[in-house]
Amino acid sequence: MFDVFFVQQLVNGLSIGLIYALMAIGFTLIFGVLNVVNFAHGEVYMIGAFAGLLAITQLAPPLFAVILVALAFGALAGFGLERIAFRPFRRFRDEASLKSKAIREATLLSSLAVSIIVRELAEKIFGSNMQSIPQEYLLLKPIEIGPLSFANGQFLIFGLSIVMLGGLQWLLKHTRVGLSIRAVANNPMGAAYVGINTERTIIATFVIGSTLGAIAGLIVGLYQGAIFPAMGFAPGVKAFVAMVMGGLSSIGGAVVCALILGMAEAITTSFFAQGWGDLVAYLFLVITLVFFPTGLFGGGRERV
Amino acid sequence: MRRLISISILLLAVLLVLPGVLSAVGGGYWFRVTTTIGVFSILTMSANLITGTTGLMSLGHAGFYGIGAYTTALLATKLHWPFFLTLPVAGVVTAVFGILLALPTMRLIGIYFAVATLGLGEIIHVTLLNWVDFTRGPMGISAIPGISLDGLFSASDITNYYAVAIIALLAALVLGRLTHSYYGNALRAVREDDQCAASMGLNVVGLKIQSFAFACFFAGVAGGLWAHTTGYISPGDFRFSESILILAMMVVGGLGSIPGAVLGAVILLGLPEVLRPIGDYRMIVVGAVMFFSILFLPRGLLGETSVLSVVRRQFGLAWDRTLNLGWRQ
Amino acid sequence: MMRFKQCKTLLTTVCLVALSCGASAQNKTVAIGYQAPLSGENAQYGTVFRNSATLAVDEFNKSGRLPGVTIQLKFEDSKSDAKEGVNIARKFSDDASIVGVIGDFNSTVSMAAGQVYAQTKVPQLSQTASHPDYVKISEYQFRNINTQAYEGPLIAKWAFDSGAKKVAVIAIQNDWGQSAAGNFVQGFKALGGTVTETEFFNPGTRDFRSILTKIARSQPDAIFVGAFYEDGSAFLQQKVQMGLKQPVFATSSLYEKKLLELAGPAANGVYLTSTFVVESTEPHVAAFVKNYEARYNGKPQQFAAQAYDATNIMLNAIVAAGGANATRAKVRDALAATKDFPGVTGTTSFDPATREPIKLLSKLQVQDGKFVSVK
Repeated sequence: MFDVFFVQQLVNGLSIGLIYALMAIGFTLIFGVLNVVNFAHGEVYMIGAFAGLLAITQLAPPLFAVILVALAFGALAGFGLERIAFRPFRRFRDEASLKSKAIREATLLSSLAVSIIVRELAEKIFGSNMQSIPQEYLLLKPIEIGPLSFANGQFLIFGLSIVMLGGLQWLLKHTRVGLSIRAVANNPMGAAYVGINTERTIIATFVIGSTLGAIAGLIVGLYQGAIFPAMGFAPGVKAFVAMVMGGLSSIGGAVVCALILGMAEAITTSFFAQGWGDLVAYLFLVITLVFFPTGLFGGGRERV
Repeated sequence: MRRLISISILLLAVLLVLPGVLSAVGGGYWFRVTTTIGVFSILTMSANLITGTTGLMSLGHAGFYGIGAYTTALLATKLHWPFFLTLPVAGVVTAVFGILLALPTMRLIGIYFAVATLGLGEIIHVTLLNWVDFTRGPMGISAIPGISLDGLFSASDITNYYAVAIIALLAALVLGRLTHSYYGNALRAVREDDQCAASMGLNVVGLKIQSFAFACFFAGVAGGLWAHTTGYISPGDFRFSESILILAMMVVGGLGSIPGAVLGAVILLGLPEVLRPIGDYRMIVVGAVMFFSILFLPRGLLGETSVLSVVRRQFGLAWDRTLNLGWRQ
Repeated sequence: MMRFKQCKTLLTTVCLVALSCGASAQNKTVAIGYQAPLSGENAQYGTVFRNSATLAVDEFNKSGRLPGVTIQLKFEDSKSDAKEGVNIARKFSDDASIVGVIGDFNSTVSMAAGQVYAQTKVPQLSQTASHPDYVKISEYQFRNINTQAYEGPLIAKWAFDSGAKKVAVIAIQNDWGQSAAGNFVQGFKALGGTVTETEFFNPGTRDFRSILTKIARSQPDAIFVGAFYEDGSAFLQQKVQMGLKQPVFATSSLYEKKLLELAGPAANGVYLTSTFVVESTEPHVAAFVKNYEARYNGKPQQFAAQAYDATNIMLNAIVAAGGANATRAKVRDALAATKDFPGVTGTTSFDPATREPIKLLSKLQVQDGKFVSVK
C-alpha cells in the first residue's frame, strides 16, 4: 500500500487542502474583524473567477494581468458586500450598542441572503453550467518529477498560499492599515477612542479579504477547469470548517486544518472510496473539537 | 377563557377551515404545498427548541430529519409496518441517534457547537449516500406506502393533510408546553448564561441533551411524515442546504417563538410557490425577502428573543477573547 | 444576447398564440405540462429542454396536424429539488387542461413526482430519467432514454472487443451512475474481463486526482466513465495531466459539444455512444438541427434531442388519443402504443410489457476535437 502511488496520493491531498486553505485565509481575516461568518465569501470567490474569465475571453491578456483584474473585482465586491450586507446592521454608533455588538451579527443571515441573490443573478446572466475556458489559460500543464505527476497549477497554488499568508502577516504587522485592523479586531471601542477610523478599517478588511478570496477563486477555477456560479459553496463550507477547527484565532491554524481536511479526503479515497472522504474529513472535525473544544490552535476556553 | 377561545380558533382553522378552503379552491396542489409546509413547520419548531430556546445553534438538523425519513422508509417497505408504528419509532430512533451523536459535542459552546453539528449532519448525509447495501444509496427508497388504515381511511391528500396537521399541532403543543414552563425557563437560563445557570443548580449538560433529544424526536417524526406523504426519498433531500433552509425559516419567523417557526416555514416555502408566475427570478426575490426581513425585523416576525443576541452569543466567542486573532500572537 | 433573443421569440410565440386564440373562438387548447430545473444547479439542462420543447410544439401548431386545436406548453421550475417536484406534480394534476406531463430531469425529482402522477393518473414521460425503478412506479411512467441495462453491456462488449481485458470503472454517486457502472461491470464480467476498480465520486467533486491515482495503481487496460459532461471533462483533463494513457469508454451522457470546449485536447480519443448524431444527414435530423440552430444560436446536443423527441412522442400520443378530445387515460394508452416513432434520436418503441424504450446507439469517437462516427 505504501508505494509511489501513496506518495502521489499525499500530493493530491496537499493540493486539495491548499485549495481550501486559499479560501480560508480571506475568510478568517474577515471573521477576525467583524466576528461573523461571511456566507457570501463563496460568491466573492465566484466573482473573482468570472471576472478573470471575462478578461480572458475579451482581452486575452497574460495571466498576471488576469490576476490583477480578479483582484480589482474582488476588492470591488468586498466593498459592495460590506456596504450592502454589513454596513446597514451597524446603524448605532453609540457606546452601548457598540459594546453590545448585537447589531453586527445579524449579518450572518444578511450575507446568506446576499449570497443567494448574487448566485442566482450569476446563474441568470451566465447560465449555471461550467464556462468554457480557453485551453492555454488552464493551469493543468503536466509536470513530471520522477514518477510523480504534478500540474503547474499546483505549484502556483502552493506559491500563492505562501505569498498570501506571508503578505498578510507583513501587512498586519508592519503597515498602518494592518495595525488598525488588529486594533479594531481586538477592541473596536478602544480603537475608536484612540482615533482609528473603525468604519474605514472594516472596509479595508473586507477589501483585503475579498481580494484574497477572488484571486483564490480565479486560480482554483483555472486549475480545476471549472468556473460556474455555484463554485464557491463546497470549498466555502470546507474553509469555514477549517477555520473553526483551527480555533478561529489563527489564520495559520486554519491553513493547517485545511491541509488536514484535504489529506483526509485523499487518503480515504486511497484506502476506501472517494464517497467516504467527506465523512472522514468531518469525523476529524468532530474528534478534534471533542479533544480541543476551542480548536487545535485556539487559546484557552474563554467565556462568551 | 381567552386562551381557550384562541386555542379553539386555532384548531378550527387548522382542522376545518383550511382544508375546507383548500378543497373549495380545488387543490391537490395546495394540499401538497400545505403538507410540505406542515412537515417543515414541525422541523423548524423542533430546531427552534435547540436554537431558539436553549441557544445552541444547530446546523445539522437536516441529517436528523434524514435519519427519521430513512427509518420510516425502511420499516415501511422492508417490514411493512403501518404508519402509526413507523412514525413513533422513527422519532425514538432519531432521538437516540441525536443523543449518541450529540453527547461528545455537548461541552462545546458557541460556534464550535454549530460547526460540530454541521459536521454531524454531513456525516449522516454521506452515510446515507454511500452505504448502498443498507440505504440503497443514491437510488433512494421508492414505493413507500402512504398514510392509510385498513377500513378507516386510505392514502389521499386529505389523509396526508390531516396526518401532518394533527402531528404538527401535537408537536406545537408539546414543544409549547416545554418552552412555556419552569422547564422552559431553565432552558432559557442555559441560553442566556450557562455558567450562571449551572451555579444556580441547573444540570446544564443534562438540559442541553434533553432539548436535543426532544428536538431530534420531532425531526425524526417530520422525516417519517415526509417519507410517507412523498412515497420516495433519496439522500439529496437531506443535504446541508436543507439545514440552512430550516435555520432561515427560524430566523425569518423569529427565534424562540413557535408561531414564528410556522410562519417562517409558510413564508419560505409558500413564497417560491406563489412566485411561480415570475419564473426564473423567484429565488432572487426569496433572497431579497430574507435580506429585508433581517434588515427591518431583526427579531424576526414573531421573535421572542432577538436573533441578534443569540447569534451574538454564538459568534461572540472570538470577539471577546483576550487572546486574539492569529496576526497578533 | 442569446437570452434576449430567446425572450423575444418566446414573447412573439405568446402573442401569436394569443392572437390565434382570439381569431377563432372555438379553437380548443390542450396543454402539456413540462417540469424541469430552470433555476439552480442544473438550470443548464432545463433551459435546453425548454428550448427543444417550445420548438417542437411551435412546429406542431404550425403544421396544422390538429386543426382547431392549439397545444400549449406549461413550464414549471423544479430547481432539482424533490420538494418542488412533488408540488409541481400536484399542480399539473390539478390543471384539467393538462393531458400529459414531460419531465423531470434528475431521477430523484422524477421519481418523487412519479409517485404523485401514479396516484393522480397522469401520464408522465421523462426525457432523461434512467432510474431502474422509474417505469416500475406505475403504468403511467414512460421514458425516452435507453436504460443502462442496454447501454452498459453494449459498451462493455465494445471495450472488450477493442482489446481491453482489465478495466477500471468510475461513475458518479447517483442513481444513474450506480446503474451505469453496475450494468457495465456485469456486462464486462460476463464477457470474461476483469474489473480492477469500481469508484464512485460524490456529486460536486471537482478533483479526481485521488481516484486517478487509485486507478493508475490498479493498472487497467481501459477506463469506463459514467458521468455527465461537466464532471467528465474535468476527469479527462486531470487524467491527461496525471499521465494516464488508457483509452476511455463513456456513455452517451458525454455526447455534448460543451465537452469538447471544456476538456479541449484532453477529450481526444474518448469512445462513446449516442442515440443522436448532430452531423447526421437524415432529413428529419438535419431539419431539427437547422431549426434549432436558427432559433437558439447553437447546435442541439444529446439532451436537446431527447427533449425534442419526448415532446414529439407526447404530441403524437395526443393526436392518437383524439386531439381535442384527448383525456389523460387515452393519452397514456396512446403513449404505451407508441411504435417505431421516427425521432431524431432514432426510432423509438415502448416495450409493451415493461414500457422501456428501445433505441439504437451509434458509436462515436472524439478525434481532433470532433465527434466522429466509428464502427
